[in-house]
Amino acid sequence: MSAPDTAQAGPAAARLSGVQQALTALLRSPSGAVGLAIVLLLVIAAVFAPLIAPHDPLRMASGPRLSPPSAAHWMGTDQLGRDMFSRVVFGARLTLQIGVIAVGISLTSGLLLGLVAGYAGGWTERVLMRLVDVLFSFTEIVIALACLAILGVGLVNAMIAIGIASIPFYARITHSVVLVEKNKPYFEAAIAAGASRLRLIFVHLLPNVIPTLIVVGTLGVSTAVLAAAGLSFLGLGAQPPQPEWGFMLSSSRDLIARAPWMMIFPGLAIAITVLGFNLLGDGVREVLDPRQRAR
Amino acid sequence: MARFIVQRLLAALVTIWIASIAVTMLIHLVPGDPVRIMYAGFQTTDAEIEAIRTRLGLDRPVWEQYFMYVGRVLTGDLGYSIVGNQPVLQTLLQRFPATLALTVSSLFIAVVVGGSLGFFAAYKRGTAWDFGAMTLAIVGVSMPHFWLGLLLLFLFSMTLEWLPVGGSGWQNLILPALTLGLATGAVIARLTRSAMIDIFDQDFVRTAHAKGLPKTLVLYRHALRSGLVPVVSMLGLQFAYLMGGAIVIENVFAWNGVGRLAIQAVFARDYPLIQGFILFFATVVALVSVVIDVAYALLDPRIRYGT
Repeated sequence: MSAPDTAQAGPAAARLSGVQQALTALLRSPSGAVGLAIVLLLVIAAVFAPLIAPHDPLRMASGPRLSPPSAAHWMGTDQLGRDMFSRVVFGARLTLQIGVIAVGISLTSGLLLGLVAGYAGGWTERVLMRLVDVLFSFTEIVIALACLAILGVGLVNAMIAIGIASIPFYARITHSVVLVEKNKPYFEAAIAAGASRLRLIFVHLLPNVIPTLIVVGTLGVSTAVLAAAGLSFLGLGAQPPQPEWGFMLSSSRDLIARAPWMMIFPGLAIAITVLGFNLLGDGVREVLDPRQRAR
Repeated sequence: MARFIVQRLLAALVTIWIASIAVTMLIHLVPGDPVRIMYAGFQTTDAEIEAIRTRLGLDRPVWEQYFMYVGRVLTGDLGYSIVGNQPVLQTLLQRFPATLALTVSSLFIAVVVGGSLGFFAAYKRGTAWDFGAMTLAIVGVSMPHFWLGLLLLFLFSMTLEWLPVGGSGWQNLILPALTLGLATGAVIARLTRSAMIDIFDQDFVRTAHAKGLPKTLVLYRHALRSGLVPVVSMLGLQFAYLMGGAIVIENVFAWNGVGRLAIQAVFARDYPLIQGFILFFATVVALVSVVIDVAYALLDPRIRYGT
C-alpha cells in the first residue's frame, strides 16, 4: 500500500523542493532579490490601491492645484488638484494589466509560431522565419503604430498593438530553442518510439522551451511597460482621466518648469517598475542558466 | 564579395516587398469604412465619399489595388496626404534629413559612451567599478527615453538655461541626440562588456600578455579590435531601433522629423501618409542594414565566406 503512495508523493515533493531551491537561488542573487522585491511591491500597490491611496485618483480638487509635495500630498497635486500619489498608486494597476496582457499575446503567439516553424522545418520554417525576420526589422514601435492606425487609439488597443508588435521577438527565440532541442537524443528517441506530432510538440518540445521563455517573458514585461508608457505619452494609449504613468508624464510637459513633481514621480514609477522586471529577469536567468553567473 | 552583396540586397528587397504588401493590406484591416474614418473631420457628402473611394482605388479588388500601389510607388508616387493634400514622398523626404541627423548623432554618442563604458567594465571585471558601470547601464536601459528627455530638458533648458527649448538649429539637436544616444548607449555598454569578457579570456590575448607586450597595446590592438566585431554586427539592428526611438524623442523635443509626422498621421488617420511612412521606414532600415552588413563583412572575412 505504501509503495504507490511514496511513488505518488515522490515527484510532487521533488517538484516542490525544486521550486523552493529555485526561489532560494533567486533570493541569493542580488539582482533577483531586488527585482522580486520591486515586482512584489508593484503587485501590492496594484491589488491594494484603494487602501493605500489616500484620495480618489480621479477626483479633482483633492487639494489645491499644482501644490508641491507636502505631508498632505506626498507627491504634490496636478493641474486639476488631483493627488499625484494616489494617481501613481492606481497607475500600478494599469501597468500590471498592460504587462500581463501584452506579454500574454506576444508570448503565446510567438511560442506557437516558433514551435510550428522549428518543428515543421523545410519551406514552412523558411517562409515563417523569413517573415518573422522582416517584421523584426520593422521594429516594434512601427508595428505598434501600424496596429494603432488600424484599431484606433486607446489603452486596450495599445496593449494589443504592443502584444502583436513583440510576436516576432518571441517567435525567434522559441524557434532557436526548438532547433537545439530537436537535435537532442531524447527527441529522436521520442520520434523513434512513434510519438504523435502533437505529442512531440506539446509534451516533448514545449516543456524545454518554457524555461527560456520565462526569462524572456519577465524581461518582456519591462519592454511592454516601456512601450505602453511611450504610446500613452504620445497620446496614442491611455486617455484622460486614466491614471496611466506615461499619460501623466505627457500631461506634465507644459508644466515642467512650474510643477516638476508632475514629471518626476510618474517617470520614476515607470523606471523603477522596468528596472524591477529587468533585474528579476536577470535573476531568473542566473537561476535557470548557471553559466550566466560568471558574467 | 559580390555574391554576398547581391544576397544582402535581395534580402533587403524581400523586406521592402513584404512591407509593400503589408501597407496595402493595412487599410483593409481597418474595422469600418476607412474612407469615412479618414474624412471624419471633414464635411463630406455620400457622393464625395464614393468619389474619394474611386480615386483611391478602394472600390477595386485587393490584388488590383496592390499592383496599382506598387506601380505608383515605382514611379515615386506615394499618393497625397489627407491632411494638407501634400505629396507623401516629398513630405517624407523633406522631413527625413532632420531624423537622419538625430539618428546618426545618437548612434555616435551611443557607440562612444556605451562602448567605452562596456570596455571599462570588462577591463575592471568583478570590481566595484564594474558593478558601478553596469548599474549605470541597467538604470539607463530601464529609464524611459522620453522621461530622460524631459529630465534633460528640465535641467539644461529650464533650470540652467544653457540650451533652447524648441526650434530646428543645431543647438536643438543636442538634447534629443543625447537622450536617444545615452539610452541606446546603455544597451551597447552591456553588449560590449560581455563581448570583451569573452575576448579577454581567449588564448591570443593571454599570449600577447605573456609575450610581454605593453598592456595598452594588447588592450587596443588585440582585444578591442576583436571585441568590437560582435558589437559592430549589432549596429544594423541598433540603427533600426534608433529610428524607432526617434519617433518618440522627436515628439518630446518638437523636432520636425518623420517620426513626428508619423504620429500626427496616426492621430489624423491619414492612411496614405501612414502607408508611405511605413514603406519609407522599412526601405531606409533595410538599405542601411545592407550597408552595415557589407562594411562588417569587409572587416571580418569569415562573414563573407560564410564560415
